[in-house]
Amino acid sequence: MNAINIYWTGTKNEFLKLKRTFAFWLTIISAFFIPAIYLIYYLLKYKSLLPSNNINPWDKFLNDQIMAVSSLLIPLFIVLITSLIAQLEHKSMGIKLLFTLPTPKWSIYYGKLTVVLSMIIFTYLMFFVMMLLTGSIAGMIHKELKLLTYFPNLGEPLKLLFRSFVSILGILGIQFWLSFKEKNFIIPLGVGMVLVITGLIIFQAQESIYFPYAYSRLSLFSLSQNIENLLWFPKVLIYSVGYFLFFSIFGFINISRMDIK
Amino acid sequence: MEKLIVKTENLNFSYSSSKKDIENLNLRVPKASIYGFLGPNGAGKTTTIRLLLGLLRNHSGKVRLFGKSFTNNRINILNKVGALIENPSLYGHLTAIENLTIASNYRRNISKNRITETLDIVKLTHSKNKKVKEFSLGMKQRLGLAIALLGNPELLILDEPTNGLDPKGIIEIRQLIKELNSQYGTTVFISSHLLSEIERTCTHVGIIKNGKMLFQNKVEVLKRTQSENLELEIETNNNNHSMRIVKKLALSSTIIENNLISVIIKQKAMIPKLIDELRKNQIDIYQIKIKNNLEELFLSLTENNKI
Repeated sequence: MNAINIYWTGTKNEFLKLKRTFAFWLTIISAFFIPAIYLIYYLLKYKSLLPSNNINPWDKFLNDQIMAVSSLLIPLFIVLITSLIAQLEHKSMGIKLLFTLPTPKWSIYYGKLTVVLSMIIFTYLMFFVMMLLTGSIAGMIHKELKLLTYFPNLGEPLKLLFRSFVSILGILGIQFWLSFKEKNFIIPLGVGMVLVITGLIIFQAQESIYFPYAYSRLSLFSLSQNIENLLWFPKVLIYSVGYFLFFSIFGFINISRMDIK
Repeated sequence: MEKLIVKTENLNFSYSSSKKDIENLNLRVPKASIYGFLGPNGAGKTTTIRLLLGLLRNHSGKVRLFGKSFTNNRINILNKVGALIENPSLYGHLTAIENLTIASNYRRNISKNRITETLDIVKLTHSKNKKVKEFSLGMKQRLGLAIALLGNPELLILDEPTNGLDPKGIIEIRQLIKELNSQYGTTVFISSHLLSEIERTCTHVGIIKNGKMLFQNKVEVLKRTQSENLELEIETNNNNHSMRIVKKLALSSTIIENNLISVIIKQKAMIPKLIDELRKNQIDIYQIKIKNNLEELFLSLTENNKI
């Protein structure tokens, strides 16, 4: 049995375990939440939101929402989804069984990590689709918003979402390891929330480039400046990927040596 | 020399630095045996099982399963092992079939038939599509057993498998263990704090207390070591009179409570003689019971033994 087969079986099993769980609904709710609020906002306050001439109203509609979720909601979502998925194992004492089955421990750790990653990507895609959908609905109801007159520029929001996604990989690696390790889900949840808020407080300091919980906010920088100059891969993303790789490897080594009580 | 399926050499483990939870444990589980691992609560039974399966990392000593070192042959060894440790690990939001499917995916090469077969063995076929969180404790235990049986294991490790089962379930599990052992030659390692359970099922026994092995041998040997004296409990209508008669027969006796005395005899042949003598003296006998000495032995081993 080669490694790819083993990895694939592990991942497939993790997907099976998600059946009828809240974790699946959390991704849907999270993706829908902010677009729904923006829909209501645009429907109620459309008079103050009318675009000037020759301005594509989608730019503001999309970028505002990405700005709104990136600093706080996305990092909190990562904290929540990792705890929730790891909790599936802890609640059923699953690790005890999984580690006595004839499958390498890495297939379990990385299979689960793959599932969490896929769910996050799914949420990002859903979020993007929901934004377009709610924007169109708002445009249909209030034609003067001109959301149906213009076609959205998809490049910039996609670039921003890509940056946002890579920027949370660092905390994903940390939170996933912590949630897998700790049976008590208050620990990863509490630690994660405190650090996310810390990130929000300190992100303006130069040193925040070393603090992964600030990266989601940092990934938005230069947005206020010329958006054309937005890099696909700023320095903060390299750090984020670095943290992700380190904690994914270190986390697994730590878990594989852990005593399962 | 018989082949050992489980062998540990001077196994040591402690959860904290102040106390040793497992001390120089040398387990010897022969092939095709039913090995009863007996000890009071907190003696280290589950800890030992976790060490055998690599869930805990031993601090010193060696674990060998099927004659191979566990650390170097983990996957190969686990392929031949089925285990049920303490409370079974089950996903409550999934059905019985789904739980089995997940375990069988990890094991690979397990057919759908085998899943239905194991459900049938543990008598859960009727609840196969029910969510596990709606299961009773006994049903969960059965499903845990089904998961352990999935891969037709050569070694079955069961940690207190009859926990939470009703009397009928306990008898069924006992039969199942014997069947697996006699038909397929499965080696069964079963832990329990109940001597009666071990006595009825097992061929070999190991008694553990405070992480140390106190006794390890065939069950017959355990029985032989204490079969010299038999203790009888006799309920009559007159304690004092009965004791005088017992004394005449050169036997010793003590009063347990009103109308109940205990008599020590050397062999069973003494029992009818004793009854005849008592009846000759117009003493009414309401009941005679041979006390289970094995139980006594277990208690004396595990309680009086100051370690």
